[in-house]
Amino acid sequence: MTSQVIENILQALVAGLLAGAIYGLMCVGLGLIFGVMRVINFAQGDFMMLGMYAAYYLFLSAGIQTTFGNVLGPYVAILLSGPLLFLFGFWIHKLLISRVTGQRTAQLDGEGHFAQLILTLGVALVLQNGGLIVFGSVLASIRTPLSSSAWEVGPLWNDLVSIFINKARGIAAIISIAAMIGLAALITRTRMGKALRAAADNPVAATYMGIDIDKSHRVAFGLGAAVTAVAGGLLATNYPFHPYIGIDYVIVMYAGVVLGGMGSITGAFWGGMTIGLVQQLSTLVLPTQLQNAAIFVVFLLIIFLRPQGFFGRMVERT
Amino acid sequence: MLKLDGICAGYSVVPVLKDVSLTVEAGQFVAIVGPNGAGKTTLFKTISGIVQPSAGAILFEGVDLAHIPAAKRPHLGIAHVPEGRQVFPSLSVMENLEMGAFTDAGRRAWKQNLERIFALMPVLAERRDQFAGTLSGGEQQMVAIGRGLASAPKLLMLDEPSMGLAPAIADFIFEKLIEIRAETKLTILLVEQRVAEALESADRGYVLEAGRVVLEGNNATLRADDRIRQAYLGM
Repeated sequence: MTSQVIENILQALVAGLLAGAIYGLMCVGLGLIFGVMRVINFAQGDFMMLGMYAAYYLFLSAGIQTTFGNVLGPYVAILLSGPLLFLFGFWIHKLLISRVTGQRTAQLDGEGHFAQLILTLGVALVLQNGGLIVFGSVLASIRTPLSSSAWEVGPLWNDLVSIFINKARGIAAIISIAAMIGLAALITRTRMGKALRAAADNPVAATYMGIDIDKSHRVAFGLGAAVTAVAGGLLATNYPFHPYIGIDYVIVMYAGVVLGGMGSITGAFWGGMTIGLVQQLSTLVLPTQLQNAAIFVVFLLIIFLRPQGFFGRMVERT
Repeated sequence: MLKLDGICAGYSVVPVLKDVSLTVEAGQFVAIVGPNGAGKTTLFKTISGIVQPSAGAILFEGVDLAHIPAAKRPHLGIAHVPEGRQVFPSLSVMENLEMGAFTDAGRRAWKQNLERIFALMPVLAERRDQFAGTLSGGEQQMVAIGRGLASAPKLLMLDEPSMGLAPAIADFIFEKLIEIRAETKLTILLVEQRVAEALESADRGYVLEAGRVVLEGNNATLRADDRIRQAYLGM
């Protein structure tokens, strides 16, 4: 193998890991809503879109650019979009989603999943078209000087191979991993996180423990929206976006959550990571247009071999 | 401590409870017995607030529960160990118990309560890190009871703790209840199909049939009643 081939493979691997970390965080957001709380949300991609625009406008119009500068500013704006989208998710849940989830739906067909599907598809359409009216169809991006510079690893192996890591993508990956670890700790270690899981496991029994189910669901929904929004903002430091970008990602998010195993936050992250890796590595052997096809071929293969996903448990839910 | 006055309740168009009144005094062990479909579980769900009564009042320590949502009632001191155990399958045994201690009272007394629960049911200590969904039925029932105790309740309501268990395990669970009772003087409201055992250990009993209280009285009266002896005790 020539050093050129090795370099290409390593470069694709690094690109896959970096993209995978952001996809992983995106999937973690949906993992909370769909994997843990079992609510189908097709507007998750559009929450991400809102997160991107929230970060964009916070950065440009809310004085963050002038206060924090061009390097730090985008990240401050992105992290602030999290709380904004938390509130958005919280209220969307309170006003709409709560009517098709939780205790009310325990007696319904498919636990209210049909209603959730239609409702959230509707929300997605409203957000996409509303976004088109408010933000316009021109591509936007969160510009940082870091996205046009790179760290060089190497040269390695007698100066034949060197790998470049785009700084913006590298930082985005680091923030993603930190956010994922923080969220996983919140869900598995804190009283609130355990209550969320209990509420998802058995809503009626959770009520007997004194856990307010509707409130737990709202908080989880808001958290899920916030996490995906932050991932979207991180993505936006490298890729331009538009009001319809959600559709491109929502299916990838579902694939990631299912790959990782329903109900597992860490699993959702690894699911997203797998998708990033497959997407980038597939470009070595396939035309780029077939990236998504490659993702779903691998997805089907893994689901065929391990139906419960990487971290899924075969524990029956009552 | 708990007083139900003329409770009627049911599911949409099907009435289940018809004018049920009962009283549980503090420190008492009260058993509710009766055949399948008599409305025993619905009665518990009504006390817990999962089912809304269409008529009547529920008073807990003098407080009318009508406007207190279900999720607030455990914080008043009502612990409900539901029918069919209903543990949280994807949470560990320890986390299940922690969820029991979600109430303020449970949190304050967490350490002592946990020690007591483990002393009473040592198998839970052994399996503390195991997912509750992977336990046997008897072990899950112990988790459910432990979870109820962990809330540091004033009133412990147990819905058929012996249901679906092998007779030996059911006996064991019953012994544990008697132990808990002897140790803590906790007020207990028990629903049970094993009428003989239930009436033997309870201070007072109610017989529920087709949604109505058909008989009530203290332990001795009920056990001496001919109808009970014929219908439930096989004498």
